[in-house]
Amino acid sequence: MAFFEQLASNLIYGMLLGGVYGLATMGLSLIFGVLRVVNVGHGAFIMLGAFTAFWMFTLYSIPPIASIVMALVIGLALGYLIFMSVMRRLLDAPELSTLLAMFGIGIFIEELAKFFWGPDYVGYSWNIGGISFPITEIPFTKICAFISSIIIAALLYIWFQRTKLGKAIRAVVEDREGAMVCGVDVNRIYALSFALGIGLTVLSGVLVTLFTPVGINVYMGGDYTLKAFVIAVLGGLGSPWGAFYAGFIFGLLENGSYTLLGLIPGVEPFGLTRFVSFAGLLVILLVKPTGLLGGE
Amino acid sequence: MQVAIKWINDQGGIKVGDTVYKLDLKYYDDESKKETVQSLVERLATVDKVKFVLAPYSSGLTLAAAPIAEKYGVLMNSHGGASDYIFEQGYYYVVQTLSPASKYQTGFLDMVHKLDPNAKRLALVYEDKEFSRAVHQAAKKYAEELGFEIVYEKTYPAGTSDLSPILNELKATNPDVIIGGGHFADGQLLASQLAELKIDVKAISILVAPALPAFYEALGTNAEGICAPAQWEVGVKYSPDVAKELGFEWYGPTQDEFMKLFKEIAGEDKTPSYHAAEAAAVLSYAKAIEKAQSLDPAKVREAMNDLGFMCVYGMWKIDPETGKQAGHEMVIIQWQGGEKKIVWPTAAANSDPCYPIPSWDEKSAGKICGT
Repeated sequence: MAFFEQLASNLIYGMLLGGVYGLATMGLSLIFGVLRVVNVGHGAFIMLGAFTAFWMFTLYSIPPIASIVMALVIGLALGYLIFMSVMRRLLDAPELSTLLAMFGIGIFIEELAKFFWGPDYVGYSWNIGGISFPITEIPFTKICAFISSIIIAALLYIWFQRTKLGKAIRAVVEDREGAMVCGVDVNRIYALSFALGIGLTVLSGVLVTLFTPVGINVYMGGDYTLKAFVIAVLGGLGSPWGAFYAGFIFGLLENGSYTLLGLIPGVEPFGLTRFVSFAGLLVILLVKPTGLLGGE
Repeated sequence: MQVAIKWINDQGGIKVGDTVYKLDLKYYDDESKKETVQSLVERLATVDKVKFVLAPYSSGLTLAAAPIAEKYGVLMNSHGGASDYIFEQGYYYVVQTLSPASKYQTGFLDMVHKLDPNAKRLALVYEDKEFSRAVHQAAKKYAEELGFEIVYEKTYPAGTSDLSPILNELKATNPDVIIGGGHFADGQLLASQLAELKIDVKAISILVAPALPAFYEALGTNAEGICAPAQWEVGVKYSPDVAKELGFEWYGPTQDEFMKLFKEIAGEDKTPSYHAAEAAAVLSYAKAIEKAQSLDPAKVREAMNDLGFMCVYGMWKIDPETGKQAGHEMVIIQWQGGEKKIVWPTAAANSDPCYPIPSWDEKSAGKICGT
């Protein structure tokens, strides 16, 4: 019985975590899908979102859930600024140039953040209680993160489907030249998608702290970059929705595999969960290079 | 270091025979690079003709410097390398002032054992890294000797954002005491998820993270009662009187003198932490040189074998065989009423341990240690 209880609670946590992972990867996928730019500086933007939540809460007692809007605005502005100053000039350059540019921007942001905020690990405690189950306890903050993630993804979906701009972005993803012929201002779509991608990423940093309100540090993004790449590939690089679903798969896999691996005597299951996740990634790439949920 | 040097020089320096020597510090920036450390120690030994070296900061760099010191027969004193491994390589000229990793969690276990011999069920949850492994493997062995029953032991990889799989499992084993952690981020995460999952125990000690003020800032009242080992803390009660009581010799500045000199040298706004260990390393050299009545590193090393004294940092005594620090005890800090108090060892403590710690529900209702 204990086994199933463990598995159940790990799957619940895995699902909650997966929701955050999913949203935290959508920005990466969106930018890749539209601009074919690999944002290796992804984690730095997550870190900015985490610090937004932290400072808003610590300085002004603004509940982290409300920082979502603030983080989105900061991210949109920052994304637009980076696009106009750097990325616009590199769009026709080889992919390596944009990759290195994003790498550099990520490091620049981290070092700048360290200059202002120091190297300490900080955190906040927004104690709003939780739900007690017989098998585990779930704090409301984690549930908040999960629900926000779903609502934001749903809103984004509606925006993509219903609005003219959303449709234009989808058109550019499908066929850049075709969209151009139809009168879509591709550069404007690029700017918008990049800003939106960064905005989503910074926003998801807030959700990350709702899930894990401690250990906030200027270099915290590295682990999220790594996971985001796995999730993005899993979901079929370039597809924000694929990434969102893949986030769930990854979260469930990460936490669920723990219980299953624990059945093997003499192994440290936690160390192996990461091995399983990445081994899974390799297998998927070998079998289906477009990603598990990717197209043809 | 400079505090101890100033203190010794103000006291008249070190007497060897009829000659009085004043201490002088010669230092280089190693840029935290192993290659640089090696060439700098070589430079100190050959160009500067230094005989007594204060080791670089961190275990990795100390391990890199050790063979060079050994090669040139200069004595090296480690005040920033806690790894036991360095001292298991058979180096004669390398001694340690810091308590080794193997002793990081043992003081806490001693404390719990003394406060409540019935708290037997011990759980270990720690980061899968070399240092925390070394600490907790040694702690586990020690706990078993004390009669603890190890009910749970698991590691987690660095960079984990959710410890719930481990902690759900741990909860089912119903432990009395938890030790664990590894670094800053995971230590905070461990405490915060123990709170979320309401895993109530009688005592918790986490490596590294709780020793910093950021821990309390991040966790608020949930940090109440959580312990951590530290080499030294401002406010420790080691004094000439304590030394006399315990039958040891006192050497060096008192806590007040140390703080005063430190502020003079480092500036009013600085708070000493690892500096006390550095001072102790300098003091141990001075004491051993006087005892050996020689400036020959080999003779001084020999004199260190049965040297034992108490100073601002606590006891200083090495294991003659390995050079490992054997006298110094880790102090255990505990968050009580929003303040970091020293609760162990008794000779250093400035507050009584809070035991058993309040439950998570009590804490979220505002209960703190000492109320």
